[in-house]
Amino acid sequence: MRAAAPLPATEALTEAVIVSASVGAGHDGEAELIVRLIHPNGAAETVTLDAELGFHLMNNCGVSDAAGLAGQPWRKILEGL
Amino acid sequence: MYDVVIKNGLVVDGTGKAGFSADVAIKDGKIAEIGAVAGQARRTIDAKGKVVAPGFIDPHTHFDVQLLWDGAAKPALEHGITSIVPGNCSLSLAPLKAADRKAVVGMFQQIEEMPPEAFTEAFEWTWEDFAGYRDAIAKHLSVNVAPLVGHSVIRLWVMGAASQQRTATPAEIAAMQDLLRECLAAGAVGLSTSFVDVDERARPVPSRFADSAELDALCAVLGEYGRMLQVVPEFYATDITIARIDQLAELSLRHNIPTTFSPVFDSRATPDNVPRTLARVEEQFARGARVWPQMQTRPIDISFSLLRPSLFFVRLPGWVQVLRLPLPERIAALKDRATVDRLVAETGEDGGMALMGGLIIRGGDKAPAHLVGKTLGEVARSLDECAARTLIALSLENDLDVAFLAADMGHDATDRIGPMLAHPLVHIGASDGGAHLASFATYGDTGYLFSEFVRKSRYLSLELAVKKITSDTAEIWGLKNRGTLAPGWAADVVVFDPKTVARGEEHPVFDMPGEGMRYVREAKGIDTVLVNGEVAYADGAYTDAQAGVICG
Repeated sequence: MRAAAPLPATEALTEAVIVSASVGAGHDGEAELIVRLIHPNGAAETVTLDAELGFHLMNNCGVSDAAGLAGQPWRKILEGL
Repeated sequence: MYDVVIKNGLVVDGTGKAGFSADVAIKDGKIAEIGAVAGQARRTIDAKGKVVAPGFIDPHTHFDVQLLWDGAAKPALEHGITSIVPGNCSLSLAPLKAADRKAVVGMFQQIEEMPPEAFTEAFEWTWEDFAGYRDAIAKHLSVNVAPLVGHSVIRLWVMGAASQQRTATPAEIAAMQDLLRECLAAGAVGLSTSFVDVDERARPVPSRFADSAELDALCAVLGEYGRMLQVVPEFYATDITIARIDQLAELSLRHNIPTTFSPVFDSRATPDNVPRTLARVEEQFARGARVWPQMQTRPIDISFSLLRPSLFFVRLPGWVQVLRLPLPERIAALKDRATVDRLVAETGEDGGMALMGGLIIRGGDKAPAHLVGKTLGEVARSLDECAARTLIALSLENDLDVAFLAADMGHDATDRIGPMLAHPLVHIGASDGGAHLASFATYGDTGYLFSEFVRKSRYLSLELAVKKITSDTAEIWGLKNRGTLAPGWAADVVVFDPKTVARGEEHPVFDMPGEGMRYVREAKGIDTVLVNGEVAYADGAYTDAQAGVICG
């Protein structure tokens, strides 16, 4: 399991950005994508996505590895939903 | 003349006080005497070297359907569980109009993974109201049942299809209140609701369409009876869970009711989740609210097959690419030598042995029986092959329908979870017994509590562990005269060996209606289980006793 990435400076942020993503075990025994976010006001948040949404996010961000999600805008999750 | 005397055991009575040597005498379904019992008994059980404790209570199960053909909720009872709470997560099998059965069956299949035959072959639908369901299961119970009524089915009864479309009108809310009253009067021990679950078409279940006024009105009815509200909050986001804790606290204080929520589980990826959740729970208890977080004891495993893309492969872009192909193309790619060589190379110089060698091959409809339970590494070595190539080959040989299990992937750090389970405000539960049938075994959490957290790591004393799953549970849920060994109280008793009590290995069985498969774990170290004074399980076998009751 990777250590959590340090939070970036938020002064330049205009929208919520993904800081890091890693895989965890869900309540129902499925692998889940745990996405760490930071908002422009400095608030940090962790959101857990199931496989369908996790792959949906990766697809929208054009990445094939969870590590590639770092730095991507969180709004990408909404595209195509 | 007593019915049963359990002699020479170490009595751990559920109150938390130190165990003591004594005999336990039982008559007419109740504890008659604890001490040096001199009277004769029709049956004597020698408990020398064993613990004699109150029967364990499982507060979070989905045995609603299974109870219609299996009054022991097997294998829960053999693990020492003498009382269960079904009807969690907004779903129960009553009240339910005949016309709405199909809709609710779909929701149950989504949550429980139960085969359709369970609803068409195993029992006859004879009821619509809650009392009818209660009577249907009460005929042959070996275990005690304290049933919840589901918010989703109450909503469905009153609103029909609109229950999954909109908020309720004041008149509809009033009708739901009346219906809830009827259920509570018929034996329901509370109301369950969910902010998370979906039906078989991935639509939110009816309870998710309720607004706060509706939930408040239903809690007002719970307050009339002093009964429980069980909730599945948005556990995937800690901040939302904390907001729900605050909402539950307000409901608890306003209506003087207990509330409980689950699941709460620890993860290395979100290490602050449980500490933040518990901190908020402590704050709300300090205000006088009752908001009990339910935490499971067992670690979480991840299982997957190549039939569906799993995030297990998320660090292997080539695998993700192939597994997201439509099935025919996916199979073609996995048969293509060059593609497979590329996938194997991606797993590292050891051909995936480090990454995949520890995966356990699971049973199921397609998995070759002789490989079930072995690790992928073992099988690969026996074939003189690498792990990644073996995983692909095994999957192809079985139409991709072979599941692999990565054990202990979450909620598995004993040094973190031990203190959490021992926390006085953590309610041990959330087993989900009777659910997730085709994914993993939901039985044996109590055995794991003793083997891992009492015997091995010693985060809980024997007495505290027993208290947490007996008298604490009974008190939280308001189950009268259960959970403690004391004269006059129900004779729900488990006799177990503290040196060996544990959960057995997980394995598949095909004992669901229609020969449906489920994963189970047998008990280890459980000697005898009595329910209301009758021996329901002894010497590794179930008896014909059917002394279980609807309790509350």
